[in-house]
Amino acid sequence: MLPFHYAARNLLRSKSRLLQTIGGSALVVLLVMAAVAINQGMNRVLSASGSPRNVILLGTGSEESVQRSEVAAAAAGIAAAGIPGVSEELGTRAVSPEIHYMNHLGLPGGQRSQALIRGVTPEALRVHPEVRITGGTFPRAGQVMAGRLAWRKLGIGEDSLRVGSEVTLDGQSLTVSGIFAAPGTVLESEIWAPLGDLHVLARRESLSCVVLRLDDPADFTEADLFAKQRLDLELSAMRESDYYGQLRHFFKPLRVMIWITAGLIASGAVLGGINTLYAAFASRVRELATLQSIGFSRRTLLWSLVQESTLACLTGTLLASAAAVLLLDGRTVPFSIGSFTVEIGPDVALAGILTGALLGLLGALPPAIRCLKPPLPAALRMS
Amino acid sequence: MNAPMIRCRQLTKSYRKGKTVVTPLEALDLDVPAGEFLALMGPSGSGKTTLLNLLSGIDSPTAGSLEIAGEDIARLSRRELTAWRARHVGYIFQLYHLVPVLTAFENVELPLLLSKLSKKERHARVATALDLVGLGDRVHHVPAELSGGQEQRVAIARAIVANPSLLVADEPTGDLDRDSAARILDLLRGLARDHGKTIVMVTHDARAAAAADRTLHLEKGQLLGDACGHS
Ligand SMILES: Nc1ncnc2c1ncn2[C@@H]1O[C@H](COP(=O)(O)OP(=O)(O)OP(=O)(O)O)[C@@H](O)[C@H]1O
Ligand SMILES: [Mg+2]
Repeated sequence: MLPFHYAARNLLRSKSRLLQTIGGSALVVLLVMAAVAINQGMNRVLSASGSPRNVILLGTGSEESVQRSEVAAAAAGIAAAGIPGVSEELGTRAVSPEIHYMNHLGLPGGQRSQALIRGVTPEALRVHPEVRITGGTFPRAGQVMAGRLAWRKLGIGEDSLRVGSEVTLDGQSLTVSGIFAAPGTVLESEIWAPLGDLHVLARRESLSCVVLRLDDPADFTEADLFAKQRLDLELSAMRESDYYGQLRHFFKPLRVMIWITAGLIASGAVLGGINTLYAAFASRVRELATLQSIGFSRRTLLWSLVQESTLACLTGTLLASAAAVLLLDGRTVPFSIGSFTVEIGPDVALAGILTGALLGLLGALPPAIRCLKPPLPAALRMS
Repeated sequence: MNAPMIRCRQLTKSYRKGKTVVTPLEALDLDVPAGEFLALMGPSGSGKTTLLNLLSGIDSPTAGSLEIAGEDIARLSRRELTAWRARHVGYIFQLYHLVPVLTAFENVELPLLLSKLSKKERHARVATALDLVGLGDRVHHVPAELSGGQEQRVAIARAIVANPSLLVADEPTGDLDRDSAARILDLLRGLARDHGKTIVMVTHDARAAAAADRTLHLEKGQLLGDACGHS
């Protein structure tokens, strides 16, 4: 067995090559960590956003999109009365008629951004108990309430959207009456307005959906039965968790694109790294042959070369992890229906370490095998 | 008479170069008794290095038999040859071929890393070998900090540290000034005479050959004269 310091000192033979190998592996590891973290973040926010206890009643045929769905305004009352198992408190049932409206919002400073505006009644707070008003009040006519992360989704400064700020929707000026949090869900990126205002602003009589909260998730069958029996209402019942699960599926191509992009950049870095390693090993063909003439087997030498590249790649991994924590951890990333937070957790770290180790291991093999291949007499002759 | 340390019969090596076949060694017979210091001379391209490579198990013959210390190494596989080299041969190169990132001491220790010796035993042996070649003080320097003569002495220490019975040297003084060369030749002669090593040394220098017990001339892959008799 060759000593470890042989591998370590070989790394230091050329500082520029060492930097290239470390830099390349750091880039690849960082890309993998970013892609995993983004994937996780998106999945996490989508799975946290739907509760299995909530049922969404949508217009038949619009199961994929709440915004496109039409539900008669009267359906909320009929459903509240007709579905057993809906949570009840002080004599009122947890039923939230909602309009989901995507449109441009005029923002302080003159900017306009696409926003998801949810028209709600105060009942919404009972159906979505994760929503907590952290400042100000629930909106009344002429007012809206903004999610804690709505500024991020709208692409404006955090301070631009505060209690008292003015926004415009379809020419109508609205005052921000409150800010709400709904940790880890897409709701935090939404703007909530009174249902009555949205009927007017969106010029629609109908609702987008009715959300019910059940005491027992198993009572979903009751809601489903109701939707199927009341053909006149043209409703379709869906678990809220299933709805967001379906969205997760919908965003899969986006996640695949992220992986492909990361993969393309990374493969460039991998090829560059292999090339650098090849140059490093090729300059030592005669030395490797000398070691074989002393009696070291090719396998032993291969192992030493692998140690060398793994050491460099793990150093790169360390740098990439530090960069990920400093640059990515805690960042919120907007996407079409909300925003999610990137977290560099144990899974992401593990993915990074595995990538780094694999890079060191597999990246060294092709150049090492090529440099150990020439027959000894020829290799010893090289200058 | 004991069996010779080296016994070649009809030893042939050819290489394929594209469509043509070159045969640097052809049907060569050679006996070298144990403890002999043999010099090999011959013009460039006559097959001297090729012969050393075969004797040291770095290359395998195309035909013929090659017995070293009674073992036919022509039959060993590549892997078996690697292990065989570690136990039986020390190779000394013209350009020393020391590992540049290792100190003189660490270079000499290399062959012992293939043995089962403890660290303490290894260090004792390395110190002995370095003493024998007269390099006691500069042992913790890397090759770049040594002179050519010192480098070659480190290389010789590396070749003998595992106590092989056969040493092969390919122009070991080819890159050295006259004084350094003389020290190296003294060293080799002492290793044959006092330590019973069998040494085959390739040289272009008649003065170097004069240090050996016997000189053979190689020309076009053939040894001139009787290479099996003893003078
Ligand atoms: N690996 C090889 N492949 C093809 N031909 C080779 C190989 N090794 C040696 N030869 C050829 O065999 C012949 C003898 O080479 P060798 O190196 O043994 O000569 P040499 O006597 O050591 O010469 P020099 O004094 O220049 O070192 C040369 O013609 C050389 O080109
Ligand atoms: Mg030669």
